[in-house]
Amino acid sequence: MKNAIIFTGSGGQGVMSMGIMLAQSAVESGRHAVYLPSYGAEQRGGSAKCIVIIDKDEIVSPMAGSGGVLVAMNNMGYEKFINELEPGGVLLYDSTLLTMPIERDDITKIGIPADALALEVGSSKVANVIIIGALIALTGIVTQEEFQHSLDKKFASKSDAVRAMNAEALKRGMAAASQSK
Amino acid sequence: MAKVLMKGNEAVAEAAVRGGCRFFAGYPITPQSEIPEYLSGRLPEVGGVFVQGESEVASINMVYGAASSGVRAMTGSSGLGISLKAEGMSYLAGSHLPAVIVSVTRGGPGLGSIQPAQQDYLQVTKALGHGGFKYIVEAPHTVQEAVDLVYDAFELAERDRNPVFVVYDGCLGSVMEEVELPPMKELPERPDWAVGNFTDAPRARRMVSSIPGEVMLEKQNIASEKMYQRWAEEDARWEEFVVDDAEYVCFAYGMSARVCKYAINELRKEGIKLGLIRPITLYPFPKKALDNLDYNRVKAIIDVEMAIPCQMEDDIALQVMGRAPILKYAHSGGVTLKNEETTAAIRALIGGLNK
Amino acid sequence: MSREILRPTCLKPGNKYCPGCMHSMSAKLIGQCLDELGITDKTIAVVAVGCSTMNLRQLDLDMVSCAHGRAPAVATGLKRTQPDTFMFVYQGDGDLASIGLAEIMCAANRGEHFTVIFANNSTYGMTGGQMAPTTLIGQKSTTSPRGRNAAVDGYPTHMCEILNTLQAPSYIVRCALNNPANIRKAKECIKKAFEYQLDGKAFSFVELLTNCPTNWGMAPLDTLKFMEENTIPAFPLGVFRDVEEGV
Repeated sequence: MKNAIIFTGSGGQGVMSMGIMLAQSAVESGRHAVYLPSYGAEQRGGSAKCIVIIDKDEIVSPMAGSGGVLVAMNNMGYEKFINELEPGGVLLYDSTLLTMPIERDDITKIGIPADALALEVGSSKVANVIIIGALIALTGIVTQEEFQHSLDKKFASKSDAVRAMNAEALKRGMAAASQSK
Repeated sequence: MAKVLMKGNEAVAEAAVRGGCRFFAGYPITPQSEIPEYLSGRLPEVGGVFVQGESEVASINMVYGAASSGVRAMTGSSGLGISLKAEGMSYLAGSHLPAVIVSVTRGGPGLGSIQPAQQDYLQVTKALGHGGFKYIVEAPHTVQEAVDLVYDAFELAERDRNPVFVVYDGCLGSVMEEVELPPMKELPERPDWAVGNFTDAPRARRMVSSIPGEVMLEKQNIASEKMYQRWAEEDARWEEFVVDDAEYVCFAYGMSARVCKYAINELRKEGIKLGLIRPITLYPFPKKALDNLDYNRVKAIIDVEMAIPCQMEDDIALQVMGRAPILKYAHSGGVTLKNEETTAAIRALIGGLNK
Repeated sequence: MSREILRPTCLKPGNKYCPGCMHSMSAKLIGQCLDELGITDKTIAVVAVGCSTMNLRQLDLDMVSCAHGRAPAVATGLKRTQPDTFMFVYQGDGDLASIGLAEIMCAANRGEHFTVIFANNSTYGMTGGQMAPTTLIGQKSTTSPRGRNAAVDGYPTHMCEILNTLQAPSYIVRCALNNPANIRKAKECIKKAFEYQLDGKAFSFVELLTNCPTNWGMAPLDTLKFMEENTIPAFPLGVFRDVEEGV
């Protein structure tokens, strides 16, 4: 499914919350969205994957076997799920943590040093927001304001510093994607 | 009301509360654990009771106790926990108590896998427990439909004084999609058959029991048979998705039916006249949907399930009566059906038929 | 002081128990306590599976009959949804100490606010005298024809002692119904357990050592001697927990 975005990585990298926030901002801005997680049995450190489908029409089935965009937050996500990226699709990856050679040549590859940028912003915890920033800049699937609204909701009870860090991460991710174009 | 993005299990739990559920007992089991997690916080807010049972067995028996009080009560589990609840489910039917039971299904048999599957069709329609009783079994295919069915399930259970089963696979339990939540229902008075709830007004003693004596028991079983026959006539529900001109008809429930809808939309673009019959009630089985098909036009029925071996095949065959071949496409064990792969597989099945 | 033998108002005439069986005695004591506390018309009894199920015919109360061993779970659902209603559970030893061990332990541990009356006659009466968790060492049964052998069958299960390891219960006591003095004592204990529930105290538990003339293969009178010489030494009587008395 071309309109499916597959987020992959390891448990603890915020892979699932990326997907949820993206789906939420799509729904709140008047589009239809589904979010489908898949878990291993492990609570931590196993592979993490979720699918988000966003469309102007109702989504018939969330059971996408492949997607037009694959987000890989590290080697594990890339290695396990690269075959689910459709030919002609976009691989968006964290180039700090995805260090293996990327062998497919039928796809567009965009590496963003999300983990390194996140550390610059203040914490590797916001690497997922940096990647989402890049995704938004590349695809226009939601606007910066729409996603910022989801971030604000999620971190409503957190400190100003945490909210500022996330907002900054979103901007940095968008900027990084624009440079990579 | 505005639509919100909600996870299937949490939406079901909230719909239960809004439908009047004021008691839930359950035991942690993947992929239904979000239901007790949600209700442990939510039920006390509305004056309800949440108990984490020490076992599946205890949980269903706590529901038996709460239902005896006349309170709208629910439990949830997955197939392997439902196996343990079989005893209590039989007692609920035997004692004519309403309740709602949710099963969020995963791969089996045995410990199986925690990933989604539909391998409990036979369990919920044929083998709920000893004594040959039945529940109405509902099988939603979207989060919205799950919400709508659970919301009204308590009244359906009270109508017949017999539990209602809601079954959906782990995909629907974990998927987040848009849902419109219904308003909070007003709670009914506790019924006049429920034990306790004493006031100062004298009244006859009441009893909840599944041991009425053999003559009365047979009478009750005869009444149950009539009830099951009435269900077959009046309560079987299904959706027909572009069946009117269909030459090939998928038969699928729950998430598998959505995968079929995807395949139908794709294959119709190629000129393949494919449709879908989707049972909304697994029991009573939608016999008429299959019986009413024009078999001069319909060239095949395609049973699509996340179960190997396919579990609906015999029920389908009993209605089709050889008037069309029954083809099958399935995954199981936690390997789920995928939109693209299923589309290709159905295309190939139909192609094979026309060789 | 005038002495009256009062038939409890909740006791229906006639019962289906074997001659000499103490289940009818325990039903009478329960009924007397309910009458004395004035709560007969506002009581729910939850009865288990076994000879105890026959309480359904004998007791004129609101009643719930449930699956084997599950009465404490059922009573949990009942009491939590009508916390102001008085209720007691009546279970035998196979029901409570074997198939229902998880339910009784966990209900007690949660400190559920009902009373459990536990009739322990060291046998499965209803099914014909099989070995129970409480069958004495050496005691013969239809599934221990050479007598209970600790090496393969383990030892009798002491429920009061096990429950006494838990923090929540307010009252745990073991009584016997083998002579008038013990019967009087048992009635006092049942009444105290009921009063504790009425006072809002957590879980109260009364074990009653009883007999089974039919399956023990003894005349009723001989069972009294057997209890005196064998059952009571194996299951010491006494108060294990009483929050009011600091026990």
